[in-house]
Amino acid sequence: MLPTVARPDAAVDATALMKSYPGVQALSGVDFTVAPGEVRALLGKNGAGKSTLVRILCGAEAPDAGTVRIAGRAVDTFTPRHARALGIATVHQELSLVPELSVADNILLGRWRRSRRGGFIARQALEREAGAVLAAFGVRIDPAVKARTLSIAQQQLVEIARGLSLQPRVLILDEPTSSLPASEVDILLRTIRTLSDRGVAVIYVSHRMDEIQRIAHSVTVLRDGRHIETRPIAHAPTAEIVRLMTGGPDAAASGPRGTRPSGDIALKVRGLTTAKLRGVTFDVRAGEIVGLAGLLGSGRTELLRAIYGLDPIVAGGIEILGREPAGRSPRAMIRQGVGLAPEDRKKEGLVLDMSIAANLVLAAMHKVVHRMMLSRRRQAQLSQQTVVRLSIKRARSSDPVRSLSGGNQQKVVLGKCLNADVKVFLLDEPTRGVDIDAKCQIYALLDQLAAQGTAVLVASSEVEELMLLCDRLLLMKDGGIVAERIVAQTSLADVMAIAMDGAHEAGMDGRP
Amino acid sequence: MTTGTMIASTADRAAASRWFGRLEGEIAGLLAALILVSLLAALFAPNFATTGNLLDILRQAAFTGIIACGMTLIIVAGEIDVSVGSAIAFSSALFGILTASFQLPLWAAALGVVAFGMAAGAGAGAIRAYFNIPSFIVTLAMFSALRGAAMLMTDAIPVPILDEGFQVWGNGTVLGLPVPALILLASVAVFSVLAARTVFGRSVYAIGGNADAAHLSGIPVKRIRTVLFALTGGLAAISGLLMTSRLGAGNPNIGFGVEFAVITSVIVGGASLFGGKGSMLGTVLGGLFIAVLNNAMVLLGINAYAQDVANGIVVLLAVLVSTRAAGWGRARRRPSP
Repeated sequence: MLPTVARPDAAVDATALMKSYPGVQALSGVDFTVAPGEVRALLGKNGAGKSTLVRILCGAEAPDAGTVRIAGRAVDTFTPRHARALGIATVHQELSLVPELSVADNILLGRWRRSRRGGFIARQALEREAGAVLAAFGVRIDPAVKARTLSIAQQQLVEIARGLSLQPRVLILDEPTSSLPASEVDILLRTIRTLSDRGVAVIYVSHRMDEIQRIAHSVTVLRDGRHIETRPIAHAPTAEIVRLMTGGPDAAASGPRGTRPSGDIALKVRGLTTAKLRGVTFDVRAGEIVGLAGLLGSGRTELLRAIYGLDPIVAGGIEILGREPAGRSPRAMIRQGVGLAPEDRKKEGLVLDMSIAANLVLAAMHKVVHRMMLSRRRQAQLSQQTVVRLSIKRARSSDPVRSLSGGNQQKVVLGKCLNADVKVFLLDEPTRGVDIDAKCQIYALLDQLAAQGTAVLVASSEVEELMLLCDRLLLMKDGGIVAERIVAQTSLADVMAIAMDGAHEAGMDGRP
Repeated sequence: MTTGTMIASTADRAAASRWFGRLEGEIAGLLAALILVSLLAALFAPNFATTGNLLDILRQAAFTGIIACGMTLIIVAGEIDVSVGSAIAFSSALFGILTASFQLPLWAAALGVVAFGMAAGAGAGAIRAYFNIPSFIVTLAMFSALRGAAMLMTDAIPVPILDEGFQVWGNGTVLGLPVPALILLASVAVFSVLAARTVFGRSVYAIGGNADAAHLSGIPVKRIRTVLFALTGGLAAISGLLMTSRLGAGNPNIGFGVEFAVITSVIVGGASLFGGKGSMLGTVLGGLFIAVLNNAMVLLGINAYAQDVANGIVVLLAVLVSTRAAGWGRARRRPSP
């Protein structure tokens, strides 16, 4: 049932929102209206403007132009505090509970005043109040237990309870199920249904069509910062949503590209099972670029981490260039020719306060050692070669990596792996936060590496990027590979529909 | 030296100065402070600027300075070792027992003491690295256990060691320089090269700067953490032997507070307790600054308790100046935790 949308009493009514960041028009004139009790799915590719819209609604950013009305009242100041006062609760993708505090403490975090007696927090009063919030939406969690003892789904529910304790009119959920196992998604969806029945408007950011079909009343698609369409869920089959998201049947599909000749199997994965993966099997040949596609939480990163020896393997195994790896540490993998460019370059890829040159040789220091000492001359030569090869723009290779732009920092991460002479190159989101020039240079570099016989495995949340770069795509869902496509013989829409719909082999004409 | 080295030398010099240059401002400031306090001492403290006194400063600074070499690397790696004072006492007591009760030759006892110091350090480092227990906790346990073991072994009574050849190590001079000072210079030289010019040293800086990135880049993080504590344990044992020689007895009642004197030199020398930053040169200057300051206060007849207050103020000032300077120098430093 789609509640009738009557603007004056809409829960959220945003008109003509504009927002630009340096170099990017994130939102250009977006209208967005949600009625009380409506569950609205918000979809769009990376960079379509979803996060910007959410950030404006929850008060983290102010729009450049346009108006936002919450339950008829115009919003003039954009701060999280003000948004909360107007009745907007946001549950972000990252959990933000304090693990050593109780569930009750977490739900009422920072609002303990009402439960205070003579300057002390009255634990029982606090737990009663939190218990009432939990009971109100039918969740059975003991408010006295510590947050860290809960499952991830329960923690997610506590986060939502925290939002609900504010008595919101609008609840924003940002990819709430990406970290949940399928069994626990049900609890969340049931809760959303209950809230909707009580008149709370819910904005649900997700790309899992199966969930959207179950709980959303309507769907809004954004593309390139514009509002493309809002329609009732009944008129929004997956194939149609994909068409709206991508802007045409095959708008971004790559032109005919010569397939790369591939050699022997460089990476062989057989029945790889870890805490997050179930029985993954595939090969990557020398000279081939293979893409890992799938929604957030589908297991792309976990697969790369497992291959690189970071997560313990429960069953199955891998072979590198026909041999079982001797040792499962990053050090052992690098020695055997496997390199990983991790997802978060600042946290895992670089030592930011060290020089560009020092970072470039970090995984291959043995190459610049002369008579047991690090040779500055050899380091300078090697880093100079790498800087030129990757066209890293920099003042001096002795400057700290921190001083580089995102794109150039990413090139340093890649250069670090190149200097370690990788034969099997694993990359996780290699172009995240990277400008368009650097993107093209990174694509060209990977192309060139493949031509020289490196096996490349790329995980990315941008399917277009994978279509452009890869020979073959592996589609992941819930920790397993659900489909495989030769890029030259498939379309963007096909791939996206499989990713969003999941296990069934969905074609253009959609859903089961 | 090859021609290649000569050709590349300009770029190298730039690189080298930048590599150390991250600390250059601070080093220059510290050097200025050291010169200033030395000048003031020379002007106002009687007998400060005499060869005998200056050599004495060097000898005094040696006992903590030797350990500070290893502590610098530990702190650069983002770790801490608070057990070195107790390790000194333990080494001294163990040496006394080995020579007096077990009649071991002095050289064998000394080797045994250093080997045990390294093993104990390696044990602490391994617990830190493989069980992921904060190094403060692990070394706090060692701090208590080693002192207790030293007292147990000797019943808290010093064991006299009356060998003239052995006393040279703590009291003698070679070419006019006190032997402990020579050993200090040697350790500084070795650790300077180790820190700045070897894969090991580079790895220590990388681990302190970003342990996750270092691990993913194939640096053996656990092994290096273990070795770091082993090195410092060995240095503490050497320092303990020198003190034993100086006192002429294996004494379990020495080394009180040395851990904090050592950490103070390293911090005043510009190292960051968050890791990734620090240098041997800074530590040397920091240690000298404190040694000169304390010596001058003694010569001026200032109350010993007032000296402790002064030391506390110096540490705070040094850290404030270095963090503020870093804040002014660059727009962003590491975010505060």
